Amino acid sequence: MPIPNINILKAGPSYSRPEPTLNPRKPKMTVFEIKPSNTLSGIEIEIKNLSKSFGDIKVLENLNLDIKPGVFVAIVGRSGCGKSTLLRLISGLDRADTGTITSDGKAHQSIDGDARFMFQEARLLPWRSVIDNVRLGLKKFQFPKALNSLREVGLETRANEWPSVLSGGQRQRVALARSLVHEPRLLLLDEPLGALDALTRIEMQNLIERLWQEHGFTSILVTHDIFEAVTLADRVILLNEGKIDLDLEINLPRPRQRTDVELNRLSEEILERILTSPIAS
Amino acid sequence: MSQFPHYQLPKGLRWIKSSSGWLLPIFLIAFWEIAARNGWIASKILPAPLDIIHAAVNLSLSGNMTQNILISTKRAAIGLLIGGSIGLTFGLLNGVFKPADRFLDTTIQMIRNVPHLALIPLVIIWFGIGEEGKIFLVALGVFFPIYVNTYHGIKMADPQLLEMGRVYNLNPWQLFTQIIFPSALPSILVGLRYALGFMWLTLIVAETIATTSGIGYMAMNAREFMQTDVVVLAILIYALLGKLADSAAHLLELKLLQWHPNFRRTKNA
Repeated sequence: MPIPNINILKAGPSYSRPEPTLNPRKPKMTVFEIKPSNTLSGIEIEIKNLSKSFGDIKVLENLNLDIKPGVFVAIVGRSGCGKSTLLRLISGLDRADTGTITSDGKAHQSIDGDARFMFQEARLLPWRSVIDNVRLGLKKFQFPKALNSLREVGLETRANEWPSVLSGGQRQRVALARSLVHEPRLLLLDEPLGALDALTRIEMQNLIERLWQEHGFTSILVTHDIFEAVTLADRVILLNEGKIDLDLEINLPRPRQRTDVELNRLSEEILERILTSPIAS
Repeated sequence: MSQFPHYQLPKGLRWIKSSSGWLLPIFLIAFWEIAARNGWIASKILPAPLDIIHAAVNLSLSGNMTQNILISTKRAAIGLLIGGSIGLTFGLLNGVFKPADRFLDTTIQMIRNVPHLALIPLVIIWFGIGEEGKIFLVALGVFFPIYVNTYHGIKMADPQLLEMGRVYNLNPWQLFTQIIFPSALPSILVGLRYALGFMWLTLIVAETIATTSGIGYMAMNAREFMQTDVVVLAILIYALLGKLADSAAHLLELKLLQWHPNFRRTKNA
């Protein structure tokens, strides 16, 4: 993702507040590095005996899962296997029937301030400019952070446009900037790339990986694309009928090459496992 | 706003495109003038356009017409303000709070089904032929379109966006001002445009039946003296005021709904 010259921005009338100068050639250096240290560490998640049903259908059954801080976890599985439900339970958007989810040892009741959620749709407010969308939920004194965050996803030059003129990939990038501006310690991704074309998708994967490495938050990605899961994650979890069918560490070095033999072999193996597992009736 | 591809006219003829809406009325009026001049239409039935302009000049010179227009506009505006704000308040209240909806909606729907103009005899008994009666009727007339569209607009708010707002820890007030109200705004503005129609309609009827001033009174008064030119003039004034009000509402839409692709005029990317 090329980072355009910052000077273009300084010409803008409304955002000319003094800001830390960035070297445009070094995208990895961000102002987030001068933040207090807790923003750099991910959250630890512990899930114990989690169950959830919708009516008579058991979606999750006695699920146990520990996620170490700062780890990138991908959850894959057939549609209807409960992967999105699990993510919504972790986020606090929905409540479990039984079982507990603790983050850093504390049970959370509602939506956690440390967690941010990216949906399959960008869910930008159409009546707000791009920058105002990123500012959602920020206090006034925090507004300069919004532009930094937009800069990280390479969209600072589009700050004053309406979301409706952006492409699908750009909208997701704005949504990503909006999540990151809160310096989350946990980023939950519910198939955020599902609706994008293949090329945009690869770009977004690289962007997410880069930002995850820079910020150090814990990441949980729900995806139906096994190759995407293996490319991005440290750990791939396969759900089948509400249970963990496979829990695989991916110890490949980063940045990962899409042509890597081992990476492709792992993807094939997981795919094979999904295809041969019995289908719930 | 056009959904169709633009075609380019030669430079000297661009005005035709921008003013094409006026071509037909101008043609019809010209035809009418010719018809009246040649005696195809009796002037007692429909006076010639130039005679009407003549009447307009005379009446405005005497200050009579301006006075009546001001009085009518004032009634319309006050009625709209009262009825509109009550409609907006109840629309928002019932749209957002389920208990209020359950408690009030039945009553409101029942009242809505009474044609408000049927209340005129009762209103005359209550208020006489003073200002209050007319303002009451106008307020009643504009209340429902604004109420219904506000309510509908709020119900149409995207649940996905509301969920997103919850993820971002917005409090109920922020959810309302940043998500619910803006989603309802297009619908509220449609309600406003409907309401403006009802506003003039109600006023016309109220002014012709019970009044001693205003455009409607001017028309009824002229009828007694068979001044058809003044009667037609009054009708035209209503049409013009109606058009002005609608244009104002449309401008408001363009201003407030800039974000909406259908309302965007030009966008410098």
